[in-house]
Amino acid sequence: MTQSLIQAYRQAPWRNQLKWIATFLLGVIVIALVAGLYLSISAQSVAIGLEIQGDNQEKVVLEQDIADMNNQLGDLTSGPVMLARAKALHYDYVNQSDIEYILVSGYAGRQTAEFAPQASQEEVPIDTLNPEYTRSLSEVLFQGLMKFNAMQAKRIP
Amino acid sequence: MKTESFLRFRFMAVSLSLVAALLMAQLVRIQVSANTRSLREDTRKTYEDAKQVLYPERGNIYDRWGHLLAGNKEMYQVGIDLRYVVSPVTIASTLASVAGMDYNEVYAKASTKYDANSAVYIDLRTTITPEQAQQLATLQTSLEDKAGKITKGQEYPSLQGLVWTPILQRSYPEGSVASNIVGAYTFLDRDGNRDLGTGIYGVEAYYNDILAGQPVIVDFSLDPNKAQNLPTVPPGASIILTIDTQIQAMVEKVLDKSVADTKSDSGTIVVLDPKTGEILAMASTPRMDPNKYWEYKNTFHDGTETNRAVSQMYEPGSVFKVLTMATGLDTGTVKPDTVYIDTGGIEVGGITITNWDFLAHGPQTMQGCMELSLNVCLAWVATQIKEKNFYSYLDKFGIGRMTNIDLSGEVDWPVLLPGQPGWTPFSLGSNAYGQGVNVTPIQIASAISAVANHGEIMAPHVLKAIVANGRQEERPLRSQGNPISDKTATDLTDMLAKSVQSESYQNAHVDGYCVAGKTGTASISVGNLGYITNLTNASFVGWGPCDDPQFLVYVWLEKPKTNMWGSLVASPVFAQVVQQLVVFMNIPPDDVRLKLKPQ
Repeated sequence: MTQSLIQAYRQAPWRNQLKWIATFLLGVIVIALVAGLYLSISAQSVAIGLEIQGDNQEKVVLEQDIADMNNQLGDLTSGPVMLARAKALHYDYVNQSDIEYILVSGYAGRQTAEFAPQASQEEVPIDTLNPEYTRSLSEVLFQGLMKFNAMQAKRIP
Repeated sequence: MKTESFLRFRFMAVSLSLVAALLMAQLVRIQVSANTRSLREDTRKTYEDAKQVLYPERGNIYDRWGHLLAGNKEMYQVGIDLRYVVSPVTIASTLASVAGMDYNEVYAKASTKYDANSAVYIDLRTTITPEQAQQLATLQTSLEDKAGKITKGQEYPSLQGLVWTPILQRSYPEGSVASNIVGAYTFLDRDGNRDLGTGIYGVEAYYNDILAGQPVIVDFSLDPNKAQNLPTVPPGASIILTIDTQIQAMVEKVLDKSVADTKSDSGTIVVLDPKTGEILAMASTPRMDPNKYWEYKNTFHDGTETNRAVSQMYEPGSVFKVLTMATGLDTGTVKPDTVYIDTGGIEVGGITITNWDFLAHGPQTMQGCMELSLNVCLAWVATQIKEKNFYSYLDKFGIGRMTNIDLSGEVDWPVLLPGQPGWTPFSLGSNAYGQGVNVTPIQIASAISAVANHGEIMAPHVLKAIVANGRQEERPLRSQGNPISDKTATDLTDMLAKSVQSESYQNAHVDGYCVAGKTGTASISVGNLGYITNLTNASFVGWGPCDDPQFLVYVWLEKPKTNMWGSLVASPVFAQVVQQLVVFMNIPPDDVRLKLKPQ
């Protein structure tokens, strides 16, 4: 009798098989998902890596282009070229006697070359990242709270 | 039946197991074999990691207004990758026609057998322009298109193996203008991708380390999975010079004509701002085009010729009297109105010194002595100053020492002092009028700038500022001391201004402007022959405007043949330079300037 009762509660064999198959397939799906995710991230990473390499090469080319263009500008404004252009436009050398001098108050005269800010000037920090990327969560909450308090304080008559 | 089936199964199982075991063994063998290890290592070297030296772009050189004097232009370096060469004939004939290279030389190099250990790439040590590179690219594409229709094994024209890579090559847009100051960079000195170029004279040599920057060696991965950003190699610092290209070009033009007209061996002109020591122009002959620096041996025969203003010593002659008179006035030995009776000769150290015209000029004030440039009078002044004071002042003026101007190749010659071998009591007398003492043009210009700048010498220099890392750093002005007082400088300027206004200085007159100045004619000693009468160094030093000197111009013509006197050959050059200089520097004539001067 006892034997027959136990027998009554046993799973059917096909159900056990199904359970094992399902478990196995679940494992396969999980592994496939992880592999897919890995491949996706890996592919993105490689694509970005290649983009960085390409950008590096482009940067080198651009730097060379900039240097070359600076030089072309130097060629175009060089003495012999400018003299030829001036002659072509029928300009002539000025004589001392042709010059009229006037005093212009506040004019300090021609300024010498300045290609960059003076080293003595205070450097202004330039942060290319938005503050959202550099502040911690606690800082955001704390600063938000302070800002809210300040706004509330202003409303108080 | 069952037994037979079982045996068949066993046979199959054993066979398949053996095959599997063999496959496994083969896999293991392949994995651990020496060839595989070598292949893995080669792959790692080729595709995983690479080491590269990144050479920074050489800094530019600008004049004081930002006008480019030395920059970098894009060119293409040509080489042959022997692994891919198909037709040496095509490569050689193409380079001969497009780039003008020697056919036989290129053919011989392109025919070299590829050897992984010794012959992989040949640098043809030439550069081509972007236009020529475009021609090669077009031709290569055309040949490759035709190559597709050729049957296997048939030889065909091809540029495969010919490579051209972009590089930056030093360029000097102004050509030979200011080349004595700028110098040159040996851009052809490349070895593969190693840049072995260096500055060879001028500021290119003096500031080579600053301009070149620091090469960076980087290890980086070629595996895209490990892609990383290459470090940024900051370019070399750019430098801004004190030179004004327009003034420099004008001075060079005047100098070249003067040297030709007077049939001089060479010439030098220095223009400086006595208030700051800034060199506005410095020209000397000969000059070369630094874009073709490898031809320098055709232009320069010794080191002194690259920039005579700093590299050539000579006896200055009577311009030196400015320093003698400055010393006399500053020590209180004489005053401008002190009278000296010139008898046409004076004995110093047992040797009689005479005037340049061998005449006696009677009673003369110090003003007259300077105006007539009397050797006898100035020798007398030196004897009154006494040796100790005289040489002490020369030392304060920087005579016998380098000025430490920031240009390569500066030389100096020590002044012989009392007690030293070679010095005699006569030396004091001859030194007083600029004989027996050697200087460079920059030394004498710098020393006399004290008279034009209230008694103070500002260190002569050509560097105005350095631009690096996005910042511009101005070179601070430096004083080299006050050898004389402001009063001495003013008195002497007045004396020399009166001299220039006199009839004997008419060649140095500049209409509308008060300038002070002094001529110089020095005899030249030639080996054992001593001083040769007709060989002279003709010079003129002048500054202005008298009340507020803004420029000092020093002219030196070496061995002029048409006339030996400084007053006749060097004075006109000074006047020509100043007439144009005042226009470039926006200095109005004195009457206008004094009216416009803010009260």
